[in-house]
Amino acid sequence: MEIVDPRPLLALGISLACALLVFATGRHYGRRVLWSMGAALLKFGVVISLLPGAMAGEVYLFRLVEFPPGVGIGFRVDLMGLFFALVSSTLWIFTTIYAIGYMRGEADRAQVRFFGFFALCVAATVGIAFAENLLTLFIFYELLTVCTYPLVIHKETPAALKAGRKYLIYTLGGGGLVLLGLVLVQHAAGTLSFGQTGLLAAGAHDGPLGGGPLGGGQLGLIFAVLVLGFGVKAAVMPLHGWLPSAMVAPTPVSALLHAVAVVKAGAFGILRVIYDIFGLELLAQLNFTQALAWLAVVSIIGGSLLAWRQVNLKRRLAYSTVSQVSYILLAASLLNPTATVVAIMHLANQGFAKITMFFVAGAIEQGSGRTEINQLDGIGRQMPWSLAAFTVAALSFIGVPLLAGFLTKWLVILGALEGEAWWFAAVMVISGLLNAVYWLPVVYRAYFRPVTGVVADPGWLLRGPIIACAAFVVLLGTTAHFHLLPFSVASEAARVIWAEVAN
Amino acid sequence: MTQPQNIPKIPAAGYELPLMLLTGLIIAGCWALIPGALAGRAPEFSLLQLAPGAWLLLRIDPLGVLFTATITPLWLLALIYSRGYIGTAHRDRYYLVLMLSLPLALGVAWAGNLLTLLVFYELLSVLSYLLVVHEETPTAKAAAAKYIVYVLVGGSCILLGVVLVFYLVGGQTFAAEPMLHAGLGWGYLTAIFVTLLAGFGVKAALVPLHGWVPDAHPAAPAPFSALLSGVLVATGAFGIIRVTHQVFGVELLRELGFMHWVSPLAAIGVLAAAVAAARQDDLKRRLAYSTISQLGYITLAISLLGQELLVGALLHISNHAMMKATLFFCAGLLLRRAGVRRVSEMAGLARRLPWTMAAFTLAALGMIGVPPLAGFISKWVLGMGTLATGQPLYLLVFMGGSLLAAAYLLPVVYIAYFREPVEEEWKNKAITERGAGWMLIPTLLAAAATVILGVAATAPGLPLSLARVAVSPFW
Repeated sequence: MEIVDPRPLLALGISLACALLVFATGRHYGRRVLWSMGAALLKFGVVISLLPGAMAGEVYLFRLVEFPPGVGIGFRVDLMGLFFALVSSTLWIFTTIYAIGYMRGEADRAQVRFFGFFALCVAATVGIAFAENLLTLFIFYELLTVCTYPLVIHKETPAALKAGRKYLIYTLGGGGLVLLGLVLVQHAAGTLSFGQTGLLAAGAHDGPLGGGPLGGGQLGLIFAVLVLGFGVKAAVMPLHGWLPSAMVAPTPVSALLHAVAVVKAGAFGILRVIYDIFGLELLAQLNFTQALAWLAVVSIIGGSLLAWRQVNLKRRLAYSTVSQVSYILLAASLLNPTATVVAIMHLANQGFAKITMFFVAGAIEQGSGRTEINQLDGIGRQMPWSLAAFTVAALSFIGVPLLAGFLTKWLVILGALEGEAWWFAAVMVISGLLNAVYWLPVVYRAYFRPVTGVVADPGWLLRGPIIACAAFVVLLGTTAHFHLLPFSVASEAARVIWAEVAN
Repeated sequence: MTQPQNIPKIPAAGYELPLMLLTGLIIAGCWALIPGALAGRAPEFSLLQLAPGAWLLLRIDPLGVLFTATITPLWLLALIYSRGYIGTAHRDRYYLVLMLSLPLALGVAWAGNLLTLLVFYELLSVLSYLLVVHEETPTAKAAAAKYIVYVLVGGSCILLGVVLVFYLVGGQTFAAEPMLHAGLGWGYLTAIFVTLLAGFGVKAALVPLHGWVPDAHPAAPAPFSALLSGVLVATGAFGIIRVTHQVFGVELLRELGFMHWVSPLAAIGVLAAAVAAARQDDLKRRLAYSTISQLGYITLAISLLGQELLVGALLHISNHAMMKATLFFCAGLLLRRAGVRRVSEMAGLARRLPWTMAAFTLAALGMIGVPPLAGFISKWVLGMGTLATGQPLYLLVFMGGSLLAAAYLLPVVYIAYFREPVEEEWKNKAITERGAGWMLIPTLLAAAATVILGVAATAPGLPLSLARVAVSPFW
C-alpha cells in the first residue's frame, strides 16, 4: 500500500538544517553540540517512526520534483531502504557523541567544517536510502562523495590532501560509471523508478534475452557498469585503493566511511541494482551474479590477506572492511531468500562491529598517540572497557556464537547451501579463520604483553559510544526473533522482495 | 633436613567460599535430576531463536543428566583445590572464567539440538583459552596459542556440519530417532560425518587431531588440567556420541560403513598415545598422553556401535574424569609442595608426601583397571561389549591399552616409593605446607570417589544405571 508521506523528506531536511545551523552558528561550542546532537536524535526519531507502518506493509512515497514523468527527485521508503537508514541514523548518534569528545582539542574553524559536512554526509545517506529512483540515488550518491572530501582532508597535511585526491578520483570515476549505467537503464527501460520486480525485466519480458528488445550483451553492460560504479565505494577489489589511503582522516571520519555511510552506500547501491533494477527473475536467467560472487570472494579472501600484512591498526581495519563488506555482495549474488536476509542484515552487523573497532583505535590514538599494532602491548590493562569492546567486535568477525558475526556466517553458509554452491560456504569458514588470524594477535598483545608507557583516560564521551556499539553487536546476534528489532526488519524486507517474485 | 619454610598463607579473595556453596547448590540441582532421568523423562526448554528456525533449546535427557551429574562435582573439587593452588596473580580472572565455564558445560550437556551444542561448545572452548594461558609464562602462551588454533579450526568444521544438517533436515531436536536418513545421498552424509567428527575429534583428542593436548595440560594450572582432561576433552567425546547416535543413528552408520575408518584410527590412538606417555618425563605431559589414550578407548567404543559398548563409553567418561582429576591434583600437589614437575625427580617423594602419593597410586591402579576400582568396571563393561559385537580383535587393543597404562603409571609409583634420591639436595628438599590442606582434601575426595564408583558401581543413580537408561532408546 503506497502512502504519500513527507517524513522521508523531513529526515533529510533535519540533517540539512543541522548542517546549515552548524555552518552559521557553529563557532560556539554549545550550539555546535546542541545542533548536532539534537539533529541526530530527532532524525533517528523520524526514521524509526516510519518503521511500524513499513513493517505492516505500507510504502511511503514523496515526489519532490518531476521532470518528464517517471524521472525526477522522489523518495520512497521500502524496508530495505529503511533498514539502511536506521543503521546509518543510529550510528550517527554514537558517532556524534564520539566526535564531540574526539574533536575537543581542535580549532573551532576545523570543528565547524567537520560537524557541518558530517551532517551533509548523513543527509546524503538518507537520500540514498530513501531514493525512489536511480536518478535520486545517483544525485545523493555524488553528493555524498563531494561532502566527504572536506572530511577526508580534514588534517590538511600533504598526506591528507593526497588521500583526498585519490578518494575523489576513485569515487568520481565510480560515479561516472553509475551515470553511464543510469543513462543506459533509462534508454533501455524508459523508467528509473524502483519498486517493481526489476525495472529492466519489463523490457526483456518478450522472451528470454535475445527475443526481447534487450539483448544479453546490453544487459551485461548495464550490470557491469552499475556494479563497478557502486563497487568503487563498496571497496570491492581491485577498486579498493582509496579506502586504506583515506585512513589519514580523523577517526570519526573513518567511522563515517566504513560504517555509517560511504562504503555502505556502495553496497546498498549494488543491492538496489540486483533487487530493483534487474530483479531476481531476470538475474536468475542470466548468470551475471556468478561473476559478482567471485568478485566478492576475491575481496573477502584478498582483503583479509592484505589486512593480515598491515602493521598499522587503522590500515588493518580498512582492509578488513574490504573483506567484510563483500559478504554483502556475496550474499546478494546468491539469489535466494536466506541470502537476501543476510545481505541486508550484514549492513548492520558489519557496521556496528567495525565502528566499535574504529572508535577504539581512535581512543588509543587520542590517549597515547599509538597507531601501530606493535605499540599496543598491555593496552588492555590500561583501557579495559575499550579493549573489551574491541574483543567483542573481533570475536564477532571471527564468528563466535551469540554475536552478530555468527548470525552472518550461519546465514551466508546456509544461503550458499541453498544455492547449491558449497564452495562459498567454505569461503565463509576460511574467512572467519582469517579474521581470527589477524584480530586475535591484536587482542593477545593488548592483554598478555607487559604494559608500556602511559595512556590518557579517553573519557566517557569516547568510552560510552564504544561500549554502546559493542552492546549492539551482542544485541544483533541474539535478538533474531523479536519483532521490530533489526533482524525482523531485514527478514521482512527480504520476504517482501521475494513475495514480489512469487506474484 | 631443613625446617619447613615459613611462607605466609595465601590471602583469601573472599569469594571462594560463596562460589563453593553456589557450586554445591548446582551439584545438588544436577543430582536432583537423576530420578527423573532414570524414569526416562526428557523435558525441553526453548531459550532463544538465533536465526529463523534455529533455536537455542535445552533438553534434559538421561544422557545429559549423566554427563552433568559426573562433571559438576569436579568443579567443586577444582574450586576447593584452587584455594590452595592459585596464587594472587590473575586470580579474579581465573575464578570468573572457571565459574562461567560451568553453566556453559551444562549447556553442552543439555543441548537439545545441534545448534545449541555448537553454541555452548564453542563458547566454552574459546573461554577456556583464558584458563590455559593463566600462568602467562612463555610456555603457557605458546600452548594457549596452539590450543586456540585447534579449537577455532575444529569449531569451523562443526559449524559447517551443523549448517549442512540444518539445511537438509531443519533444526531438529535430539531424540531417539536419528535426524538423517540414507535418502539424503552419500555426498552430503559423508561431508556431515567428516566435518562433525573432525570438529568434535579435535576436542576429544582423537589421533591425529590431538596436537594441543600434550601442550595445554602441563601449561594450565593443575585444577584446570583436571577439568581439561575430565570435562573439556570429554565434551568432544560427548559431541561424538550425539552425532553418531542421534544425528546419524546406528542403522545408518552401519549402512554407510564410516566406522570402519574410525575404529582403527581410535585403536591406533589408544596404543600410540600410551607408548608416547611412557616416554614423557614431565608428569603432567605423561598424564596428558594418558588422556589421549583413554579418550581413544571412548571413541573406539563409540565407533564399534554396540549397545553395551556405548554404556561402557559413557561409564568410562565419568570414571576417567574422576581418576584423571585425582592424578592431575596429585601432579599439582607435587609441583606446589615439592617443586617437582618431572618423574625422574620424584625419587623418594612418597615418604615426604604420603597422602599425595597414596591418592596417586590408587588412581593409577584404577586407570590400569585393577578391581574393584572405577577403571576396572568401565573396562569390564567395554570388554564384554566388544565380545558382544563380535570384534574380539579390539579386545586386544583395550587390554594392550591397560598394560601400557601400567607401563606409564606404575614406574611413577615405583620411583616415588622405592627409589632413593641420588642427589643430596633432593634428600633435603623442603616441603612447603602452603595451601596443602586445601589441595589435599579434594585430591583425597576424588581418590575416594574412584573407589566408590568401582565398589558401588551397580547402585541405582550411579553412572552405570544412568548410562543404561540413557543408551536404551538408541536400540
